[in-house]
Amino acid sequence: MTERDQIHAYLKTLSTYLSRLEKADADEVIREIESHIYDALETQTETTNLETILDGFGSPRDLAASYVEHILNGTPPPAGFKAIQTVKKGATKSLYYTTACFGYIISAALLFLAIYKLFDPNAVGLWSNGNGESVIIGVVDGEPEGKVDILDWWLIPVFISISVSILYVTRRLLTILKAAI
Amino acid sequence: MKPEVTTDIKWDVQLRKGTLELVILAALKGRHLYGLELLNLLHSFETTKITEGTLYPLMDRLKRDGVVAANWQQTGDERPRKYYNLTAAGEEKLLSFTTRWRTSVADIEYLLTNPGPAKIAQPKQQ
Repeated sequence: MTERDQIHAYLKTLSTYLSRLEKADADEVIREIESHIYDALETQTETTNLETILDGFGSPRDLAASYVEHILNGTPPPAGFKAIQTVKKGATKSLYYTTACFGYIISAALLFLAIYKLFDPNAVGLWSNGNGESVIIGVVDGEPEGKVDILDWWLIPVFISISVSILYVTRRLLTILKAAI
Repeated sequence: MKPEVTTDIKWDVQLRKGTLELVILAALKGRHLYGLELLNLLHSFETTKITEGTLYPLMDRLKRDGVVAANWQQTGDERPRKYYNLTAAGEEKLLSFTTRWRTSVADIEYLLTNPGPAKIAQPKQQ
């Protein structure tokens, strides 16, 4: 890898991390850093080389973060802009809690049904009237008339696996949403 | 590394955090410098050495705060460089920072040169 390739790779990674900024802002940052690197290389001494210069800038990720931090949060935003940010943040927050409630409740309910089936097999089931017009899932007082219990004992493994899957998806979603809050 | 050396470095880092903006404004007073020149200038002093990764994002912030102005210049075949200089707001900020800095140094100096148990005779005249 030549020095030029190394510089190119560094700047390219930096530009990826700067993608949250407006293009003009990101380009300006890249242009200045590129100019610095080439200038510094031309005047390099025994103790400075591309390695030490790039070390001085730190990882592209950290460098980008210190720009993004003050550009998106630090400077006084134009009127109305702050409200948008707050709303955005609020939306993510409520999405986080809605996802958490919805995911955990459904997952817990399915698990509960699967366990209940063990104790009272006739009261729990997934019934259908045969042509799919109506479906009943849940705990009932006596089997619904004229309907077929589709899963029977299979309900236990099926519901447990759906419950676990929902739990997994919910947790993954929450991790992603948490980062955005 | 000797313990006292580590302590010195930690102290420098802490102190620099609070004074960096003053250092940059002071370095740009009456000067028109591009990033590398500014960095080299700061590296010529013992306690003001900062990294590229600290300097450039800070310059961008100072520019957005309106205390420095930046413009790209190119002379002849040379690479275009982004030059920084103080704005009027920057000069003003430097002035007020300078006053606070000198007061702070004088206060600390006073405490250093007037150890106990003797009482400090009277409130120090500013």
